[in-house]
Amino acid sequence: IKLISDAGFQAEITSISTASQQLEVFSRILKTSISNSLEGGEEEMEKILPEFTKMVCHGEHTYLYSQALLHQLSQEPKGGSNIKRLSQEICKYAQQNGHDATPITMALNGAAANPRACQALSAMLSKNALNPADITVLYKIYQVAEPPPVELLRVPQFLDLLMDSLFKPGTKLNPDHKPKYIYLLAYAASVYETYKKGTRKTLNKDELKATTQAVEKVHMICNEKKGSSELIAELNTLYQCIRFPVVALGVVRWVDYTVSEKSYFKLSTEHTPLHLQLLDEVSTCHTTLHQKVLDLLIRLFESPQEELDVLVQLEMKKMLLDRMVHLLSRGCVFPVINYIKTCWHRQDTDVSLIRYFVTEVLDIIAAPYTPEFIQLFLPLVENEEITGGMRNEGENDPITEFVLHCKTIMVI
Amino acid sequence: MAHVRDSDTSLWLHNKLGTSNDLWSGGSICSQLNQDVLRNIRECFIELQSQVKLKLLLSFLHIPRRNVDEWQVELEEILEVALVDSDQWVSMLAELLKTYCSTGMLNFKIEENTTVFIDLITELKKLVRKHSDQAILPMECLYLNRSALTAVVGQPLQLLKHFALKRKPKSAALRAELLLKSSEAASNIKKMPLT
Repeated sequence: IKLISDAGFQAEITSISTASQQLEVFSRILKTSISNSLEGGEEEMEKILPEFTKMVCHGEHTYLYSQALLHQLSQEPKGGSNIKRLSQEICKYAQQNGHDATPITMALNGAAANPRACQALSAMLSKNALNPADITVLYKIYQVAEPPPVELLRVPQFLDLLMDSLFKPGTKLNPDHKPKYIYLLAYAASVYETYKKGTRKTLNKDELKATTQAVEKVHMICNEKKGSSELIAELNTLYQCIRFPVVALGVVRWVDYTVSEKSYFKLSTEHTPLHLQLLDEVSTCHTTLHQKVLDLLIRLFESPQEELDVLVQLEMKKMLLDRMVHLLSRGCVFPVINYIKTCWHRQDTDVSLIRYFVTEVLDIIAAPYTPEFIQLFLPLVENEEITGGMRNEGENDPITEFVLHCKTIMVI
Repeated sequence: MAHVRDSDTSLWLHNKLGTSNDLWSGGSICSQLNQDVLRNIRECFIELQSQVKLKLLLSFLHIPRRNVDEWQVELEEILEVALVDSDQWVSMLAELLKTYCSTGMLNFKIEENTTVFIDLITELKKLVRKHSDQAILPMECLYLNRSALTAVVGQPLQLLKHFALKRKPKSAALRAELLLKSSEAASNIKKMPLT
């Protein structure tokens, strides 16, 4: 194995247990994987992740070594944040597979300098559940004038647990402790610090109060499980508060749980349910949340709604496509079109839906187009099976216009 | 007597940690460790199978903090033996854990295993810098207010404009309609007499 590795054929070593036997061989394969995942950007990283995380999480020793290496790389001021994400994805995979990686996370993130905070966090992360006693400890620690770094609270698993406790329908929190959960989440989302040579120079809490209030308001609305008619009176509050990313993320989670209930669409009487219109607002306010919204829309688009009449199912899917067109209009262009292309290639989506999407997009876009956009979208527009029956001989034919426009540009 | 104890300890460790189907120690032996056992482990460490050595070292991370403080000397003595182990995995892990007992943090001043750590990091750092424009955000960034986000990852990249918009999508009309309904609903609530 070492000889194969020495000769540079890392890709040929496919068995994880073989690869991980010798540190030198493992380190070379790790290097190749890290390099590949950086080269293609986020989409490529997503593709590589299943294999990569499996390899790193093969044993606790491979995990510790890889995470230590990634931790050092993530400290690099230029590009380190890309590596941090990679490291977090691995941590998430380990946790989902029942491995307790918390001690390694805590040994790497500098928590040891704050033993009480470290202990409270470790206890909750190891059990993957929050509890009022440890939350109270953290709440008190983060209320003093010189609290530990905010970074400690920003462990993705911890933030995720806080979100579930505040935005998952039906979760009951003790009212005495609830403000502490809200405070910690708002603190993590809004406070920022500046450091010079490892010493904290500033601690900015200017937005803490407003963020806390926004989380609290929307938590109350979501927690009371109101129907659409009651929710509609709260629309202004929801729109105001969605401007805070942490609230928007909470709303996406709440909407996700709500619309995933089996009878949601069966019972819904509106063409576009209010919950889904809230997703439009999230897409408008936060480009960083586009992918989250799209993931949810895709899940709904592909979810079987067998209880609905076939025509109603088609209407529902068109309504979801409207949401995707909205996302596209807010700048989430490639992920949306790529998804529709996948639907087309898989041949499992009614062609009338693909046609609907193409028409809706052509209805709102205008030149100038980037060459990448033309390259991506033109094949769908040109395709006879999709748009064949829609071309008019006369004027006002957006399909022919778009195709001609693109061809002219390509010739130039 | 000491020899008997050593072989007992070695057998016990192999029974506990020698299974090959689970390579995560999870701290399963932590509750059975104490200073005497740790001294015995140090004596027989060199004879243990590599896998057992690795799992043993990893179990240090799962020992409650107050015990780590109490057993620091014994734990560090085992790490010293492990540092010069012939299996590079064992040596590497021991070196990473070198400062764990005293500081709770991993050691990054790697001296014994420089090729598989320091050299690798140097090479990879070049790649990291080269691809720094990828802007793949760490997970927590989705939660952050704009100023907090800028403090963490700098100014967000502007989205590339792939086309112009000649009209707003259908969602815009829906939003306006919804706001109208909302203000009607709100005024209805106000009109309702208090009971």
